[in-house]
Amino acid sequence: MIIDPRHVLQVSGLHVKVRTAQGTVPLIQDISFELKPGRVLGIVGESGSGKTITSLSLLQLLDRKTIDMAGSIRLNGRELNGLKADKMRSIRGKEIALIMQNPMNAFTPVIKIGDQFIETIRIHTALTKKQAFELAVTTMHDVNLPEPAGLMKLYPFQLSGGMLQRVMIAVAICLRPSVIIADEPTTALDATNQLQVLRQLERIRSEYGTSILLISHDLGVIAEMADEVAVMRHGRIVEQADVYRLFDHPQHEYTKKLLSARPALQDNKPSKEFVMS
Amino acid sequence: MSLLQVNNVTHSYGATNRFWRAGRQKTVLSDVSLSIEQGECLGLLGTSGAGKSTLGKVILGLEKPRKGQILFQGVDLYETNPSTRRRLRRDLQAVFQDCYSSVNPRMNAEQIIGEPLQNYERLSPNEHRRSISMLLESVGLSPEDRGKYPHQFSGGQLQRINIARAIALKPKLIVLDEAVSSLDMVNQTHVLHLLDELKTSFGLSYLFITHDVKAACSLSNSLVVMEKGEVIESCEDQSQLIASSHPTVKKLLESILSEHPRSRSIN
Repeated sequence: MIIDPRHVLQVSGLHVKVRTAQGTVPLIQDISFELKPGRVLGIVGESGSGKTITSLSLLQLLDRKTIDMAGSIRLNGRELNGLKADKMRSIRGKEIALIMQNPMNAFTPVIKIGDQFIETIRIHTALTKKQAFELAVTTMHDVNLPEPAGLMKLYPFQLSGGMLQRVMIAVAICLRPSVIIADEPTTALDATNQLQVLRQLERIRSEYGTSILLISHDLGVIAEMADEVAVMRHGRIVEQADVYRLFDHPQHEYTKKLLSARPALQDNKPSKEFVMS
Repeated sequence: MSLLQVNNVTHSYGATNRFWRAGRQKTVLSDVSLSIEQGECLGLLGTSGAGKSTLGKVILGLEKPRKGQILFQGVDLYETNPSTRRRLRRDLQAVFQDCYSSVNPRMNAEQIIGEPLQNYERLSPNEHRRSISMLLESVGLSPEDRGKYPHQFSGGQLQRINIARAIALKPKLIVLDEAVSSLDMVNQTHVLHLLDELKTSFGLSYLFITHDVKAACSLSNSLVVMEKGEVIESCEDQSQLIASSHPTVKKLLESILSEHPRSRSIN
């Protein structure tokens, strides 16, 4: 494999199998993609196509006792596959961060948001509690959360889903990771919150040059955010292309089917199309 | 007479316990009125916390409103005697967002779909089996799936089972509370098509509660937008909604994601 320094994340030939009593079952097969700095790669596919397994395997979060992993995952030139658990812990959250689908389940319900936030920062840096608190407040302020200092004292259930998702984004970006994996970041949110969260991710990308791996089943999210798109089905990437090319000239039958599955709103935003063209 | 008539319904949640301070009530519905005609689908739009689901519960007879009345086929569900209520409740069914938590995990598909039939109809075992096969087929599943348990179905399939259960008694109105929101796009489209077909073939009416403008427009005849417990806009069709000048409606429309990367609204 050619190691290209221009790629932040380089995945090649990734196979994941699970060992069951009935034998091994392949979950994802031959996944290869690259992520350049400041770019967004969208992974799209229906439920059960292996999108989340891909993201978890990148983070080495799958149970090693039952999972067989082959292939190479290179983050900033460093091989992640087969890395010891404690080494991986120092990378996870610092160099590669995860934004999960359901913010309500991603936080510990019995610990205040601030304490969870500070814990993440202090594990990876030598900051004092006070400095960590300040960093947390500034980052929360960055993602447009009102009164961050007050929010630090609240428990996760006291916040709405949209706000909590923005807190999770703040936790993910506060240590300036080079890659953020956003696994269905807006699926649990309503339309207005969805747009706000996507805007936030877009801003992080343009301001800090963070690369984002955006996993979604919603082609609308992909159309708004992604530079490149990989279409997954049955654990394989069936098509990978630039976002414009994919939407204009889908090659694979499955991609065509996905694109035609979108419910269309007739005469939606006609003026915008007109202005853009 | 409309099939369903919601007249000036006001509802609030709050601590009624006498150990807590009295009067700490949060109004979630204030003076809501709407009506649904036979064979019509009303889309109820709004952001989270607008009171959509509370209205759905009030209509289903699960939550007695503080003020106002719900007339289903001209009868107030909360004021009538238990036997009439039971008779009316048959024509009023629901499908909820989380398909896994709306079925009993220890019942198989046949038991799940058969439950309303057992409650309301006296069928011979043979007829019972036949009607379950027919229901499974009408939602696009095969009759062989009858013995499967909820965990053996995917989300989209299980949502179809929920729909089959809802149409088992040939109801007049189905309340769809975010019924397609938890499904992925392919399944969402399938289920929306299915609902549309069933509407025509069974003459059903829907109250389609959602925050997804596109899904609401694709299924509904008329649309109502709620905010903070109030109806702020009601439209006859989707072009009226698009033309609406209300700021909240505009915000809702702006938040529709574009269909093509060329028309991006982010950046």
